[in-house]
Formats: sequence, C-alpha cells, structure tokens
Amino acid sequence: VSADLADPDLHASGRIQAEWRRLRESRPVHWQPGPGGGFWSVTRHADVDRVLRDHASFTSRRGTLLNLLGRPDPAGGRQLAATDPPAHDQMRQPLQRAMGLRPAGSLAPAIRAGVRGLLGPGLTGEPFDLAAALVGLPLVLTGPLLGLPAGDWPSLARLALMCSAEDDPRYQVGGDRDATLRQAHRRLFGYFVELVRRRTRSPGNDLVSLLLAEPEVAPGTVVANCYSLLLGAAVTLPNVPLAAVPELARPDRYRWWAGRPDLLDTGVEEALRWASPASHFMRHARHPVEVSGVTIAQGDAVVAWIGSANRDPAVFTRPEDFDPARQPNRHLAFGSGHHYCLGSHLARLTLRVFFGELFATCRRITVLEEPMRVRSTFLSGFTRMMVALEPTSGRCQ
Amino acid sequence: MTRAVTRETLGIEGAYAAPGTQTERALAELWSERLQVRPVGVRDDFFELGGDSLLAADLALAVDLAFGVEVPAAVLFTSPTIAALAEAIDRAGGAAQ
Repeated sequence: VSADLADPDLHASGRIQAEWRRLRESRPVHWQPGPGGGFWSVTRHADVDRVLRDHASFTSRRGTLLNLLGRPDPAGGRQLAATDPPAHDQMRQPLQRAMGLRPAGSLAPAIRAGVRGLLGPGLTGEPFDLAAALVGLPLVLTGPLLGLPAGDWPSLARLALMCSAEDDPRYQVGGDRDATLRQAHRRLFGYFVELVRRRTRSPGNDLVSLLLAEPEVAPGTVVANCYSLLLGAAVTLPNVPLAAVPELARPDRYRWWAGRPDLLDTGVEEALRWASPASHFMRHARHPVEVSGVTIAQGDAVVAWIGSANRDPAVFTRPEDFDPARQPNRHLAFGSGHHYCLGSHLARLTLRVFFGELFATCRRITVLEEPMRVRSTFLSGFTRMMVALEPTSGRCQ
Repeated sequence: MTRAVTRETLGIEGAYAAPGTQTERALAELWSERLQVRPVGVRDDFFELGGDSLLAADLALAVDLAFGVEVPAAVLFTSPTIAALAEAIDRAGGAAQ
C-alpha cells in the first residue's frame, strides 16, 4: 500500500522523505488514483529535470501545483508560471530585462540592514523562534526591490503565507483553505493595484516603475508580476536557512562552515538543495509520452517532486549528508528549463548575506525543541523553530 | 472569440437588477466584455460571475482610464458589485470618458 503523496500531513511529519526514497528505488514513475483524476509522481532527478524542461510534452497551463488537481487553473495562460513557451518567454522577457537594469548587488546594503533587523532581537542566547523571525526575510528582499514601505512588510509577509500554505491551520482564516486563499488574493492584488497607481503617478527607480516603463507591459501584468515575485520569495527564502540550521546545530559543524568564507557560495547551494522549499511542480501531458519506460496518457497530471530529486543518490554522493563544500551540486531547487526561477540570483544574494551576517554575529546555534513543519504538499518548511543564538563576543551583551 | 454566457448558466440566484445610471450602464458593458457574461446585474458579485483577483486588478486599472478617477481598489475587492463601484465613481466625480 502506497502512502498518499497528496496528504499534507505526510509532508508535515517529514515521513515524505522515506516515501520518496522508496519510490525512487522501486517505482520511479508512480500512479496514484484519487479525486480529481489521480496523478503521476516522478521522483528521480533525471525524470524530474526532464518533466520540468520538456514543455513540448508537458504543459504548465492547467495548473502547476497539486492542490489545483482536477480544477482549471484560473491563472492558466495569464501568469508566467501557468504559461508555456512561446507566450511564456514573451511575458518573461520584459520582466527579466527590468530586473537586469539595476545590478543585484545594489540591493545588498538594504538586504544586510534588513537581515540585521531580523536577527538582532535573537542574539541574546535566550529562546528565540527563528521561523517566526524569518517570515520577514522575503520582504527584506522584495521590499527594496519593489519599493514597498517598510510599514507594510509584516502584513504582506503574512498574506503571502496565506497564499502558499493555505492548508496550515496557523495561517488559515475562518478555518477554511478556500476562504483563506480568497481573502489573501484579494488583499494582495488590491494592494498591488494601489502600488501600480502610485508608481504610474510618480515613478521611482524600483522594479515596479521600471516595468511600467516597458512599452509592451500592461499595468495589470505589473500587478500579476508583483504577486509572483512576492510569492516566489515568500516560499523560498525563509525555509532555506531554517532547513540548514538543525544540520548546523552541532557546534563543530557550525564553527567549521562559519570559519570558511570560501565555502559561503557552495554552502548556500547545499542549503538550497537540502531545503528544496518548493517541494514539487505539476504538469499535464500534452500527448502520450514515455518517461523511464512508463507511458503517460495525454491529459494526465504529472507531479515532479523536486524534494526527492535533490536527494537522489544517482546524482548526489551521500545525499543525506549536509555538506557545505559539496561540488558539483546540480540541485533543482529553482526548477529547470524555461520556468527556472526568475529571482534565483536575488535569492542567492539574500541567502549569502543572511549566512554571512549569521556567521559574523552568532558563534553557536542550539535548537531547543523539535521544529514544527509546515502542513503543505507544496511548501516544505517550518512554522516554528526555537533556537538559542549565542552572540559573538563583544556584541549584544 | 468566446461567446458570452448568461447569469443563469453561472447559477446566480438574485434577481437581475438592470443598470440605471449612466455610470452603471458603462460599468455593466465593461464587466460583460471582461467576464464574458451578458447581461450583468448591478447587484451581482464580480467573483461569482467568474471574476478572480487577476481580472479584478485589470478591471480596477481599466476603470481609472474609462472614468478618469481612481476608486480605491478595496471597493472592487471587498464590495464587488456594479452598484457599489458606480456609487464610488460618482462620488469621486468620475464620468465615462
């Protein structure tokens, strides 16, 4: 009997890793029947990479997340993630161009200040909920990027969580996932409409103004892009350091990586692999297609489990070891192919700044109790992680 | 070109309330075009008519251009009817351009 891969509790309990291992070994292309028509799971690195890249065989238009299974994706063809090439590439180009107009490094000082603000209150050695603090990390990046007033950051961070972990009771309103999504979507889109209006009246040098200046980009598309960027950051950023921290909690391991600035970049890549915060993406077969010897029928849903691919021993030596020196590291945490994360360079920058600041200000981390995982099939991460951050001598006495 | 559907097809329960003012008539036309529903009543809920947040954002920004005023986005997102939107446009001194 197979476990139900669409059950958020399987993911929240952490048992999903053992299930993925079993599937990689014995049934790498696995059909699970169920409401909404059932779905295929691919769990090996090569198959996950192929399904994500092969847009000629697998479409994104019919929903890219498992919780949309059996329902039409309202964003199909209208938002980047739910569009196929060539339309996808036409939508993506102006955004990519606008994002390239300012060097990413110019955001570094603002990101550093933001990270200090998040870590500062915890640098006492006293119990500190790192998961709660890092809910603010996405805004440390997207705030300066989009020019959002700092007073708005906390509510935006919360709304983004309501949109990406709507199955978790901690983020629900009214105990109902649909009501949670509805309220969060309406408030976020309403917020970004007002932002677009302000920037239309008085442009700045933020990404929203740069996008509005692109001749072929409609203002409504800028609103949709703001939403995608915020959600993309909200899903990835906090959970990368959070996944790494329990692995670093052994003092010698933490001290070892902290003492090797030359391993900051490879360590960030390893944290991305280890965390795989976007656990999966879904596609639908455009025509009958063979994957590792199994024929997938036209119209069938295929879930590519990134979290599984990133622990595949066919690609990673000792995949269950967290190794900041790992090289090469062909992880798929940012996806693969045309839909490869548009903000990956900004995410990497933010993570490098985060770990750099952590190593500079904290000499030891202790995890005080078993962390609590997000209840979601998509978002792999933590809602609570009580730690003690021991400050480097001379700081925060 | 997709054909517009009717309120009945969507299972809208309230009675049809025809647009009365000039603003309401112009808004009803805008909604029908974007939602592909015809006719739409002034008390119908935008989201029950098949609208979503993405369409609502487009519509809010289209209203800016169509009426020459900016109605707070919260009006469409929290009171999503033509009646409420028309009242806000009229109060702001907007008129179909």
